[in-house]
Amino acid sequence: MEITVNGAVRIVDAEPDTPLLWVLRDNLGLTGTKYGCGLAQCGACTVLVQGLPVRSCVTPVESVAGLPVTTIETVEQDDVGRRIVEAWVAHQVPQCGYCQSGQVMAATALLKQVAAPSDSDIAAAMTNLCRCGTYNAIAAAIRNVAQG
Amino acid sequence: MKRLLASLAIPVIAVLAVGAWFTTRIPASPFDGQGKSSLSTTLERGEYVARLGDCVACHSTERGAPFSGGLAMGTPLGTIFTTNITPDKATGIGSYTLAQFDNAVRRGVGPDGRRLYPAMPYPSYARLSDDDVKALYDYFMNHVQPVQQANQASTIPWPMNMRWPLALWSAAFTDGRVYRPDPSRDASWNRGAYLVEGPGHCGSCHTPRGLAMQEEALDGSAKAYLSGALLDGWYAPSLRNDHNTGLGRWSEEDIVAYLKQGRNRHGVVFGSMMEAFNNSTQFMTDDDLQGIARYLKSLPGDPDRDGPPWQPDSATTQMLSSGAAPAMPGAATYLARCASCHGRDGMGRGAWIPPLAGATSLLAPDASSAINITLNGGGRVVAGGVSDAYRMPALRSQLSDGQIAELLTFLRGAWGNKAAAVTAAEVGTLRQHTNPASSEVIVLQMR
Amino acid sequence: MDRLLHPADSDAGDQPISLSRRGLLGGSIGALTLAVGLRPVAAVAQAAATPLAAASAPAGPPFNPFTALLQIRSDSTAFLQVPVIEGGQGIFTGLAQVCGEELDLDPAHFVVQCAEPGPGIAALGTRLSTGGSSSMWRNFMPMRRMGATSRAMLMQAAAVRFEVPVDSLSTSDGKVIHAASGRHADYGDLAGEAAELPVPVDVPLRSADSFRWIGKSVPRIDMQDKSTGKVVYSIDLTIDGMLQAAVQHASRLGMQPVRLLNEAAVRQMPGVHSVHLLSGCVAVVADRWWRAHRAVQSLRAEWKEATGDTPRPMPADFSTEQLRQDMLAAPGPGFLAEAAGDAAAAMGRAAKTLEAVYDAPFLAHAQLEPPSAIASWDAARGRLELWMSNQASLLFRDAAAKFAGIAPENVTLHSPMVGGFFGRYFFYDESNPYLQAIALAKAVGRPVKVIWSREEEFLRDALRPAVLVRFKAGLDAQGMPLALESESVSDGLYARMYGAAYDKFDPTVVEGIAKKVYAIPNRRIAHVMHRYPPMIGAWRSVGHSFNDFFMESFTDEMADAGGIDPFELRRRMVARSPRHATLLEAVGDLSGGWRRGPFTAEDGSRRARGVAMASPFGTEMATIAEVSIAEGQVKVHHVWVAVDPGRAINPAIIEAQMNSAVALGLSSALFEEVVYERGMPRARNYDGYPILTPDRMPEVHVRIVESGAPMTGVGEPGVPGVPPAVINAVAALTGQRVRRLPLARASLGGSV
Repeated sequence: MEITVNGAVRIVDAEPDTPLLWVLRDNLGLTGTKYGCGLAQCGACTVLVQGLPVRSCVTPVESVAGLPVTTIETVEQDDVGRRIVEAWVAHQVPQCGYCQSGQVMAATALLKQVAAPSDSDIAAAMTNLCRCGTYNAIAAAIRNVAQG
Repeated sequence: MKRLLASLAIPVIAVLAVGAWFTTRIPASPFDGQGKSSLSTTLERGEYVARLGDCVACHSTERGAPFSGGLAMGTPLGTIFTTNITPDKATGIGSYTLAQFDNAVRRGVGPDGRRLYPAMPYPSYARLSDDDVKALYDYFMNHVQPVQQANQASTIPWPMNMRWPLALWSAAFTDGRVYRPDPSRDASWNRGAYLVEGPGHCGSCHTPRGLAMQEEALDGSAKAYLSGALLDGWYAPSLRNDHNTGLGRWSEEDIVAYLKQGRNRHGVVFGSMMEAFNNSTQFMTDDDLQGIARYLKSLPGDPDRDGPPWQPDSATTQMLSSGAAPAMPGAATYLARCASCHGRDGMGRGAWIPPLAGATSLLAPDASSAINITLNGGGRVVAGGVSDAYRMPALRSQLSDGQIAELLTFLRGAWGNKAAAVTAAEVGTLRQHTNPASSEVIVLQMR
Repeated sequence: MDRLLHPADSDAGDQPISLSRRGLLGGSIGALTLAVGLRPVAAVAQAAATPLAAASAPAGPPFNPFTALLQIRSDSTAFLQVPVIEGGQGIFTGLAQVCGEELDLDPAHFVVQCAEPGPGIAALGTRLSTGGSSSMWRNFMPMRRMGATSRAMLMQAAAVRFEVPVDSLSTSDGKVIHAASGRHADYGDLAGEAAELPVPVDVPLRSADSFRWIGKSVPRIDMQDKSTGKVVYSIDLTIDGMLQAAVQHASRLGMQPVRLLNEAAVRQMPGVHSVHLLSGCVAVVADRWWRAHRAVQSLRAEWKEATGDTPRPMPADFSTEQLRQDMLAAPGPGFLAEAAGDAAAAMGRAAKTLEAVYDAPFLAHAQLEPPSAIASWDAARGRLELWMSNQASLLFRDAAAKFAGIAPENVTLHSPMVGGFFGRYFFYDESNPYLQAIALAKAVGRPVKVIWSREEEFLRDALRPAVLVRFKAGLDAQGMPLALESESVSDGLYARMYGAAYDKFDPTVVEGIAKKVYAIPNRRIAHVMHRYPPMIGAWRSVGHSFNDFFMESFTDEMADAGGIDPFELRRRMVARSPRHATLLEAVGDLSGGWRRGPFTAEDGSRRARGVAMASPFGTEMATIAEVSIAEGQVKVHHVWVAVDPGRAINPAIIEAQMNSAVALGLSSALFEEVVYERGMPRARNYDGYPILTPDRMPEVHVRIVESGAPMTGVGEPGVPGVPPAVINAVAALTGQRVRRLPLARASLGGSV
């Protein structure tokens, strides 16, 4: 099966219903995308498909064939992604860090679509779980980027 | 089907008493006088009939021995428990003659003349051929392990627990006849009709019930047959050619795939149908499934009941894909909780995750199935021995009644869906009477 | 709680440190040649047991830091091994600050990693375990001494090279400078020579007034990597030739697989290498984890019930609801944990008495990274290498050695960065996949990584204990508490974790009720031992996490019964402790002045506030929460936290930890509860075990109060004040006293 990840076409040996998450992690070695729940509950596995945030643990790899997939590994190559990462560092957002790949991807997707999101836009888009409770820092970092 | 509501108070009260001989008599069976040894069928033959009838679903529990009974079925009058149908002589059916077995299966009468609750779908099993009954008898007598486990008494209090009035119910609502092929149809259609009306007892869930809880029709000659019904917290949709609420948009191949793999581009089995799939339909031969598909596709829909045909509408998709927070609270909940799997376009993910755009459960007049699966999630679909890759989570701990009502009201108006709003009270009622689905892979063993 | 930090203490061995795979985690080592200095067991410094002892502990015998724990790489960055794990609490940055302060190297130039068990850590005089919020105070002096010793050796090396007296040299962020001649040398350039020098003793430490990094909000050193997915957690590791495994545990602990019913079919599934029966589970080894997971989910096994010698089997009929009934009925008086005055007599002469029963449920850790372990077994040499999330590597190493049938020194145990822990990775033998990984690696002859699915994790987590407490208080005529009696009904955590005898009270079961600062002259605090089957463990702030909820809620009940404002009551009860009095005023001030309410906020909502004090692990906490109720759900708007850890090393990290603790404490108060029915947990994923979502996160306001008391920790102490502050606010708002968590159980009606 052929999939397009971070701009490159990759041929992967996987059953068509394999979650994209595990193709990224085990077939392609892109372990920045995390497994948290496998049930679309936590969002640690968030990647971008056609620029929109997708929880890769519930995305059969077959369903993204031919669609561009972007993972945390190349997020800084995108201007918005780079600014999000800078804001994450400036606001010292991560604690254990495990959920942050997904948080950064969700925030990047939001700001690519809505340059100046309102607080309710942020609340609607940022639904990933963080057991360390970095939610306030996440919101502050996004507001910071949104305000340029 | 599992917890069929056997509400029989009304006939008890309504019907005048007639002679006790009628209500306790032993009916005639074509096998009267035949001994136990006159059988010569293979294990596979009988096992297959047991699969067709899905006996295991009700007569086994997850933790108990196969066919030893004990499954609780809630009824408005109390709880009844399914019986031990292993060949144990003391507690099971080991001492049944073929005729006695036949009377239980096809006529709902025990060897002592006691009437069975029609939670046992004998009105449908009446259609079974003599050969299939013999094969089934052989299977239970010779291939099922006897298990000594006493049957549990129901919790239905006297006088409602008297069984004799059930004979009157039977007389009124069953026809007791074996399936008669329709010579105007081909063999495949006739095989399908036999399976659906007979052993498959599809009408137990999918046919509406009357005041006495009787199925309003037992075969395809009536419009009510398989036209959709609410049972045990699930709305079993129409299996007729209704465009919105039935199989109108399904091809015969779609039906075969659904019953064989548990999924197709229209949906994935859930609720009671997941149990029927896990334990029964996937074990049917391709020819039998083809027959079922052929038969079901011959049942006409009812546009008056079904309403204007569903047309996809992309406005919802555009709204959900804008990145901005949706104005409708239900849409915001959808984005946060549901869109990861079912998509901003409501199309799901191929056959793996079902679409919600145009989904029968969201177009059906009764929203129970949608409420139920939102509250309780889906159980595990096990196809060909392999468990599913994706399952529906239970949201009852995360969303309030009001939030679920808003969510489903949104979904019943999204992507061209047009169905009535859901109220918090409806959600609250189902929340009280249901439990979350197990996330364990459960396979009921037959041997 | 201190016992949690007392595994078999010595980790001294007589083998060289294994560096075989260090490069994998720490990057290349640079120019140093590592000839390891060995140290006999007797010379190992005694680890300090309290913050006070740690602050004043004399230096241990000299050891060469370069050969043990601190390597200066050729690029003048430092590779520092520390005896604790990093799981979000910021300790790697904190210890880099402390070591860098003395070494004179910017913390940003440190690469920090958890040390492997071995002589280096033993020489340091600290403990190779992470818990009790002790990582900073335990390691503060050892890290400083190591940094200072290293700096002295680097200066000595420069003195030799430059042929100048050492006291003519100075250092500046990674360089030794000879000001007189203008010559300088980078640390990285000198490290090789420095490592060969004799180790100086009693190197003087910097004076506090010259600190550049200690006490400052130094940026954490792992932010960039954690924001770009580059951090490698245990679950992310790959070892050459590795296979991956998934397991299906027995539905109840103690049950064992007897045989497989569909092994042949499962073997045919894609990628499957082999199928195994292990102790308490069945496993599939495959080329990739998802394939192993699918296969093991499809595997059907016949199980047998636990045999008589199983330590604590889970009965088929166990339910938490029944357990609660049993605990309610469990008779006192229990083991006495604390007594003062004569509680019974005082109760008799009290003007007023009140009683209440509180309880708190089992809780899951629910850290986002599911547990995993990699085992690599070298059969020829009888050596085992492990990579696993853990907070107690000595205990795990020794248990792994025993399981593998080899000596502990033949086990190399790596402790990677963990994706959250909160107490999850103490030594709970059945709650960690490492033995499964060892068994499978031995069976297949290749390295094996076992990952537990989220569902298996919820089945085998070691839960926060369920505890129920019966309180009775007597008030004097002025409404002041005169006597307090409590009976805490619970299993014993020490007994369960360390095999302590069941013949006395368990400190974790009463901590927070016992040793409370409040001036209540007559006290009787007891523990009614009530054993139960679920696996239990330490959960962030351990006994405080439930006891401070009990005690601080009941304190509000005492205040109301005595007709005294709850803030005022606390003020009076801590009047003789200036440290607590100051802290209480601080949180009141931070919140804009104490007001209980109910009052109407600017947005028109009716709100009220609650206050709580707690003393977890020697750190003092005062917390105020402000709540409203909408559609029957509690909304927490603000949490104000005043924290006194004695002294602050990194205020920004403390503030982050307080945010984190508020989130976890609030999550537990609002939603969390592990419910067992028929011997199994009802929830097996986050759908059935909700944790705090972003939309429920309150604003958090933090004030750090440095009282100058011996330094204590900040990782756990923020948690326990949050539930009672919230519950007290709800009581103030609604008049309804919630005594059973979580709040989701309570029916709070509509908007108040």
